[in-house]
Amino acid sequence: MYLFVEQLVNGWAIGSLYALFGIGFGLVFSTLGILNAAHGTYASWAAIIGYYAVVWYGVPFPVAIVCGVFGGGIIAILVDQLGFQPLRSRRVGLLGAFITSIGFWIILDSLAGFATGQQSLAFPARSYPNALVEIGLIKVSQIQLTIIASLIVVTVGIHLLIQRSRIGAAMRAVGWNDLAAGLSGVNSRIVILLTAFLAGATSGLAGVLGGIATNNVHFSLGEGLMLKGFAAVVVGGFNDVRGTAIAGIMLGIIEVFVAQYISTAFRDGVTYTLLLGFLILRPRGLFGSASFVRA
Amino acid sequence: MISRLNFKAAASALAFGIAAMSGPASADPEPGEYKIGFIAEETGPVASAGLSFLHGAELAIEHVNAEGFAGEGVTLRMEKKDSGSDAARSVQALTQFIADRNVIAAACCILSPVAGAMEPVATNAKIPLVLYGATRPGLPKLPYVTSIVVLPGPQEVKMTQMLAEKLQPKTVTYFVNADNDGFQGRFKAAQEVMEKAGIETGGVVNILSNDTDFTAGATQAIGTNPDLIMVWTTQTPAGGIIAALRNRGYTGPISASDVIAPAPMWDRIGEALVGVPFPVSFAAEIAETDEAKAFAEAYQAKYNAVPDNYASQGYTAIRYIAQGLKSLDGKPTREALAQAMAAITDIEPNVYGGLPMRDGQADVQKALIAAWTKEGKIAAWEGN
Repeated sequence: MYLFVEQLVNGWAIGSLYALFGIGFGLVFSTLGILNAAHGTYASWAAIIGYYAVVWYGVPFPVAIVCGVFGGGIIAILVDQLGFQPLRSRRVGLLGAFITSIGFWIILDSLAGFATGQQSLAFPARSYPNALVEIGLIKVSQIQLTIIASLIVVTVGIHLLIQRSRIGAAMRAVGWNDLAAGLSGVNSRIVILLTAFLAGATSGLAGVLGGIATNNVHFSLGEGLMLKGFAAVVVGGFNDVRGTAIAGIMLGIIEVFVAQYISTAFRDGVTYTLLLGFLILRPRGLFGSASFVRA
Repeated sequence: MISRLNFKAAASALAFGIAAMSGPASADPEPGEYKIGFIAEETGPVASAGLSFLHGAELAIEHVNAEGFAGEGVTLRMEKKDSGSDAARSVQALTQFIADRNVIAAACCILSPVAGAMEPVATNAKIPLVLYGATRPGLPKLPYVTSIVVLPGPQEVKMTQMLAEKLQPKTVTYFVNADNDGFQGRFKAAQEVMEKAGIETGGVVNILSNDTDFTAGATQAIGTNPDLIMVWTTQTPAGGIIAALRNRGYTGPISASDVIAPAPMWDRIGEALVGVPFPVSFAAEIAETDEAKAFAEAYQAKYNAVPDNYASQGYTAIRYIAQGLKSLDGKPTREALAQAMAAITDIEPNVYGGLPMRDGQADVQKALIAAWTKEGKIAAWEGN
């Protein structure tokens, strides 16, 4: 029983990383209309920035997180303004932006490889809290609790921002029709910059926390998150962060339980079968609105 | 004025030169510069190991040239191409080396599937190809494809027997790469030794090469209440698994393979590796022979780092080619060099205290069982 509960928490923590990443990915898709293949590199770069902040400057754990998160956000803004804004102004559709994003993916991935010397790095063991915390009869590491708490805070925060604030209303308006939003007095440029930053920052948070939790800061770190994060977004629904959060956690738990009770060989197969099933049977996901479309 | 580092390097080269000159007299090949195509793996999934192999090979070129080991007026030059451990890029690099008639021999491959893909290309083109890192048995195909890699099997069996005797576990749980035939075989060999000694298998936790999060796997393994956990996986997962086990509060004994021996692993994983035994054919800190000590000093002087097992293999691959070249007379051809290398029964000098070649495959039975210390050094493991 303890094993079951501990694995449940392990799955929850892994799934929280997928969800954190997926929230950023989904935000860009639902608001900016970009299926961004370069999104995984934001997570890789955030982890790399956080790592060097610790190793070179000896910054404490929370500062390293902030460095990585801001780094991810700034890179997302740069990619958006250099790559997507020119396309946006020419009204190039989803395919053009997708192809551009593949170009950025390759460039940022290669640069990340240079930044890490193509090596697998790890945050120094004493640079982050990783003691085991006893909760009842089970043990959970502090970094797992940090990941789980981060997802809750980010999900609630972004949900409230989008649904309850004026900025969120502007984001939704731009997501529907940026021209119409502009005519209504919304500064689309600011909304786009804010959305790109938020998306890069949340995925960056997943990257830094994932790099710490797995002892693996690698230039391809984001690629693993990309596949699972995308699955979380599809299953949860593109335009609802709550759905992405729940779907991400669900995927993590399924993944761990399949490995524990069935076989590692089926682990990813089950995840992607679920993804395929949702794409065919319920393309709007668990929580996505039926009217959500992206041309 | 000769700097201290240069003096050390010169002394190391001299030590190797003396060892080299003590071998049998031979005719020399035609003086000139001969290129060796080195397919490096500085990028890709095993880049940290790839760098060690490359550095070892570069040092060997320097030593061979400084000693005049390959013959009077004969020098070697390395032509390097990076493959990123990708089979297609490796084949492409070898094809380019084949097209360059000044390339007399090539060396390649850390991963066995990549080495397997290279074998027919080298054989068809009749170019000597030395495998410096791939560990799957049966890869050499004489006379063109040979391997200086000390196969891990006998060493790992020896370590497993030692663990069974010294730790006397009742149950062992294994981590193994589900998607790597080589490690599957190594795990099964260890399991067989343990089960023959009456030690039960507590569980087998399968992981995949691309996995990065091992918290769930560690929880699963700890849940089997093992007396020993053996990790038979590739390098990156091995470090992650050991760290995850310690992070999850497992304090019992863990063993691993030589993948945890390189210094970058210590830099990455740190104290979680302390006391985890692994078999290794070369470790600079516990090397005993003069050749090994000279190699370690020269490597330290050139790269400001302690050479690991992989560096010694890169070094050996080049010395092996040089030894074959040295035995030729007149204008050497690739075919003649391949035949000469295939005929070598002992690589001399070497850093292992003896390196017999059998059917084109290095065949060393002795093994060092080592472990990392708290100070980040490798020391002989004595079972405690």
